Amino acid sequence: MEAHPSYEPLADVLHKYPRAAGSTFQAYNDIVLVQRWTQVAIVELEGVSRAAISGKKPQTDATLYVVPCSLSETLSFGWLQTAFTLLSDPPEIFLAITSDDASIVYYKICRGIVKPHV
Amino acid sequence: MIPLRVANRKAFVWDVGDIAMLRSQHRICGVFTGTLPHLSQQNLFLGVPMVLMPEEVVLLIENELAVLVDDPKAHIQPSIGELQRWSLKEKELAQSQISHAPGVAKEPPGMSEEAIKKRKDREMKKAMAAEATSSAGPENALSPAETAAPSAQPSETQYTLVIPAASTSFEWYDDGMCRYTTIQAARAAGIWDYPSNLHERAKCGVFRGLWEQGMYLGGGIKFGGDYLVYPGDPLRYHAHFSATVLDSPTSSLTPMEVVAHGRLGTVTKKSHLLCGWNDEKKEVSYLTIEWAGFG
Repeated sequence: MEAHPSYEPLADVLHKYPRAAGSTFQAYNDIVLVQRWTQVAIVELEGVSRAAISGKKPQTDATLYVVPCSLSETLSFGWLQTAFTLLSDPPEIFLAITSDDASIVYYKICRGIVKPHV
Repeated sequence: MIPLRVANRKAFVWDVGDIAMLRSQHRICGVFTGTLPHLSQQNLFLGVPMVLMPEEVVLLIENELAVLVDDPKAHIQPSIGELQRWSLKEKELAQSQISHAPGVAKEPPGMSEEAIKKRKDREMKKAMAAEATSSAGPENALSPAETAAPSAQPSETQYTLVIPAASTSFEWYDDGMCRYTTIQAARAAGIWDYPSNLHERAKCGVFRGLWEQGMYLGGGIKFGGDYLVYPGDPLRYHAHFSATVLDSPTSSLTPMEVVAHGRLGTVTKKSHLLCGWNDEKKEVSYLTIEWAGFG
């Protein structure tokens, strides 16, 4: 992992939050290399013991936030709310759910009741 | 005040006017459960009584829109006179039905002129066929259709049976002494005990929270949630959300649940609502889940 080009920007948070290291590393690589987001940065969220990834989708200007987690973790409603609060209440966060076989899926979570778009 | 008649800890509404009022004025839809006594297997078109979800009942009582009635208790032992009057009425009803059903009382079925003629024709055919067989030999055996026994004439008379649904028409029905205007009173009387734990309180709280935002709610089993949430009457709108109730901010939520609810919702053009209940503050907060559209 140390030899991977993504290791350097993540080194601090991977050491600080070892339990989330796997999912953080995987989500970061997917965001940068597959989704090709721009201005990608690391945001530390101490209250949920991990780092979030901020960035912009290609050809867009809104800053979005990705919170990584592993499929085997157990979260709670309060945990998600804490993540929103720590990120200063963005309109939405993307929960990146990772699994052992390197697959990843993103779900958009919004605060409050938000109508589905048609 | 709409009477909700409780039997076996379920609340029923028997009056069509009340049902219309609940739906149009109070956004409470309930579920029809009534079938016909002799066709209890048919469950496509159900009628009265309407059964309410316990959350619906709690909301209606707390908002003072309805009262709970201990239905079994409202049936008081009838007097001889009351029973005689009832029996007389039933007999009159039976008589009037008989007189409105011609054909049934007058001729036994199958013996009308037409039927007699048909029977004669059949017998004649049979005789001719028998003759043909005896002359042509066994290889020309009769087909089963020709030998089949004459089937009975289907009766074309239609019956109208009047089945009175409501008990309120009985002289011996009096719910004056067993009406309860609060959940506590009904609980004390031993006919109602919802909500009795945290999960049930959470469901009542979430139901109220969504209802107060003008939503209509139905059972959520079709989409694996606790409720389906409609922006208007379910007969006119598709549900926008399926909702699950989380009893407390700390009750567990696995990423697999997020995926399952989120993906199903997206496929069915719904979003999924996580409804988090806070029992100390008596508050609901919501999170909406949708597939992100990438990854």
